[in-house]
Amino acid sequence: MKDTVSRQRARVATADRAALAPYTVWAVLFILVPLVFVAYYAFTDNAFHFTLDNVKRFFTATSTVIGSDGSAQEVRTYLLIFWRSLKLAVISTVICLAFGYPIAYIMARAAPRVQRTFMTIIMIPMWMNFLIRTYAWMTILQDKGIFNNFLTTLHLPAVHIIGTEAAVVIGMVYDYFPYMILPLYSILAKLDPKLLEAARDLGCSGWGVLKRVVWPLSLPGVISGVTMVLIPSISTFYISQKLGDGKFFLIGDAIEGQYVANNLHFAAAIAFVLMIVLLLCMGLMRKLAGRRVEGGL
Amino acid sequence: MRPIAKVYTALIFLFLFAPIAILLVFSFNSGNSLSVFSGFSLHWYQELLHDTNTLGALKNTLILALSASILSTILGTAAAVGINKLRSRTMRSAMNTVTNIPMVNPDIITGISLMLLFVFAGRLMGLGTSLNFWTMLIAHITFCLPYVILQVLPKLRQMDKSLPEAAMDLGCTPMRAFLKVELPEIMPGVLTGLIMAFTLSLDDFVISYFTAGNGFETLPIRIYSMTKKTVTPKMYALATLIFFAILALLIISNLMDEETAQERRLAKAKRKKERKPLSPQAKRTLALSVLGGAAVLALAVSFAGRAQQLELNVYNWGEYISDGSEGSLDTIKAFEKWYEEEYGQKIRVNYSTYASNEDMYAKLKSGSVSYDVIVPSDYMIARLIAEDMLLPLDYDNIPNYKYIGEQFRGLYYDPNDEYTVPYTYGVVGIIYNANQVDEADIGDWDLMWNPKYAGRILQFNNSRDAFGTAMYKLGIDVNTGDKAQWDQALAELQAQRPMIKAYVMDEIFNAMESGEADIGAYYAGDYFTMADAQADSVDLQFYYPPATNYFFDSMCIPSCAQHKELAEIFIDYMLSEEAAIANAEYIYYACPNALVYESEDYIDEMGEEAMEILYPPMDDFKERYNSYAYQNLSDDILSYMNELWESLKIN
Repeated sequence: MKDTVSRQRARVATADRAALAPYTVWAVLFILVPLVFVAYYAFTDNAFHFTLDNVKRFFTATSTVIGSDGSAQEVRTYLLIFWRSLKLAVISTVICLAFGYPIAYIMARAAPRVQRTFMTIIMIPMWMNFLIRTYAWMTILQDKGIFNNFLTTLHLPAVHIIGTEAAVVIGMVYDYFPYMILPLYSILAKLDPKLLEAARDLGCSGWGVLKRVVWPLSLPGVISGVTMVLIPSISTFYISQKLGDGKFFLIGDAIEGQYVANNLHFAAAIAFVLMIVLLLCMGLMRKLAGRRVEGGL
Repeated sequence: MRPIAKVYTALIFLFLFAPIAILLVFSFNSGNSLSVFSGFSLHWYQELLHDTNTLGALKNTLILALSASILSTILGTAAAVGINKLRSRTMRSAMNTVTNIPMVNPDIITGISLMLLFVFAGRLMGLGTSLNFWTMLIAHITFCLPYVILQVLPKLRQMDKSLPEAAMDLGCTPMRAFLKVELPEIMPGVLTGLIMAFTLSLDDFVISYFTAGNGFETLPIRIYSMTKKTVTPKMYALATLIFFAILALLIISNLMDEETAQERRLAKAKRKKERKPLSPQAKRTLALSVLGGAAVLALAVSFAGRAQQLELNVYNWGEYISDGSEGSLDTIKAFEKWYEEEYGQKIRVNYSTYASNEDMYAKLKSGSVSYDVIVPSDYMIARLIAEDMLLPLDYDNIPNYKYIGEQFRGLYYDPNDEYTVPYTYGVVGIIYNANQVDEADIGDWDLMWNPKYAGRILQFNNSRDAFGTAMYKLGIDVNTGDKAQWDQALAELQAQRPMIKAYVMDEIFNAMESGEADIGAYYAGDYFTMADAQADSVDLQFYYPPATNYFFDSMCIPSCAQHKELAEIFIDYMLSEEAAIANAEYIYYACPNALVYESEDYIDEMGEEAMEILYPPMDDFKERYNSYAYQNLSDDILSYMNELWESLKIN
């Protein structure tokens, strides 16, 4: 009997290892090795000799910015670009969170059938190609576009949106909104209603329940959602081209521009720095959230 | 739901569907604008059904998304099972960290890093073409995997661990226990993972852009390549069709879910404790996986089969060949048919598109693709020749070359006519809205710097053309090697910047047609496309400044070509009367082929105004061309220009 059990254990262990083996190989080959390549390109020149120039250039390259009053000012080119990308991405992420959380909460509290319908409705736009969706926003936001026509019909003054930071942010929020809602929803849906009842029974106000019970428990979903919105919006190059009137040069544009200009090594250096910064940020965020969320962000 | 929640939800849905509504409406536009609606028509749907290239790209996109999502679901589910059973904490957290990397890494980095890997591996194995369908598939599986794993893992953790153990105690093999007990339990997670993977793969552009290779063009890449010409409502029609197809699918699936739910309730009512081995939902998924697996297999077989068939890889600008719309000739199809009749052998043309010379160059330079015919512009040809990246043509195989006008031969980029066959040419001019712009102000480049029209002016969103406008204005040689002169041009562009409404490529079509902007420089032929679609309040006109850019796009054979003779036959066919006229009428740029510009049918079709603008006087053409055209800049100047361009853009 003991023999059967141990043999069975051994078989299970072999099976588990067999299940994990293909993924391990895959992860090493296609997740880890490519990162080594980015680092390798970032620290070599065109002849593949070691150099720090590319990374140094990221931090030290300067250019002159001319202010609206005509005054010239020396700035660090890539640090400025990076800072701007980060700013827009953070704004978009905060907006996504602020507007996505209530929707996710409403969804999670709805009847199961309604939940499914909601889910479908939120996913559908993602099935239209994102280039085309962004294009459609151009038609809506331009000065003589649908939105301004609507305002004019209401006898309101027209607003200039396209080509401003607001337009870029709208594009980012729109494209990545579902990425915020889905993880929030899946966490909130699992929340035990009894917990909320208990909190209320113990004298918590509605707001208190939200702040003391729901929010802390949903933190893993928040982290996951924030990551899934922040990361793509920081590196997008299409949204800024189309909705920013080509006036917003973000870090994604810089990488793509260097790739197209055939400066692969410098493109890799920008990518490398971006990657390190993001990994650090994410690590820090998870630490701050104070909760180890195993298996995911 | 409380009323306030209802209102809020409605507003969010309005936001989510506003652009969808736009593309739905404009897909029925009778005109070709995406911002001026000129009437209801089903025209674009008809066009779409005849556009084999776009439908082919759609098919490719679906094949890719289906294979990537199914394979990543299988691989990811297995991985999740393995990770869940890992005993060592360190191992588990190491696996989790690795899994998170593709999610925490911007897609542009994932794309570039995988491309570097594929290119390197391809060189190692001595392959001429390392980027193809399979590399794209690997890339897509890689970025889908974490999403699957993260969906499945929590379900595994929620599951009662004793269940599979009990099954095995009762004599199940681990595999059987997994299929019969575990899989049904975690099925919801697996399904969500599958759907997410499919959605992500379908929507991805960036990673595909970097890892795309030979003859496998997906829809996002095709759309991106339309950046020089224009995105037509045809793409909106396609999106609308996809929308309704998905809607139908989802409604059906919801109804089916409803049935299963009812069945479940019934079963519960009967207190049947019997555990179904697989829920109907799971069965459906399995069936889908099998179907998908079959699709992948079929694809692999068809790829293998295609190796026997003659293939030609053509790489051209987006929207740069007659595609059979408006009853025109689909020149690619016509070539395939003609070739089979002529040579008794089937041939397949893999046609892919690029958005700029530089995009095309970056792909070729990586050494990971193989194309047989490319259509670069003059300055890029000079660069390719200098870097030994073009093959000399055997003009004996291109007898129709004799129809290329004498004045279009021996141009600076190919002085001895060894490498190129001109395809189109054109001149950059200024388009303006005559209802807003004073006739007195027109005539030269100053119009684009005229403060009177501040906020109404468009400038090129590509460095070479933008610097070009400033240099022609200042009377500087656009090919100068003197950095001080480039600085001077930059200062001019910086002075212009506060007056610029937008830096544009294909966006110029929308902006000019709708009257968003009043002044912009672009390629002559495109002016007619805009004028055709202009809003009622807009009156677009066109003129050539005294010094301006002349360009040629010519057919060439890159050194990575695998079918040189076939490529020459293709080039020759594109010079034949029928094909050349169809292409010229479609592209609307000037054609250097005498069979075209001397054809009475063609001249009638184009009309007097178009002929006059597209075909400027020929007497001193060569001279003007050679003095105004862009030439290949040295690496030093090129990267200097890029730096200046970045510093203009960050202002």
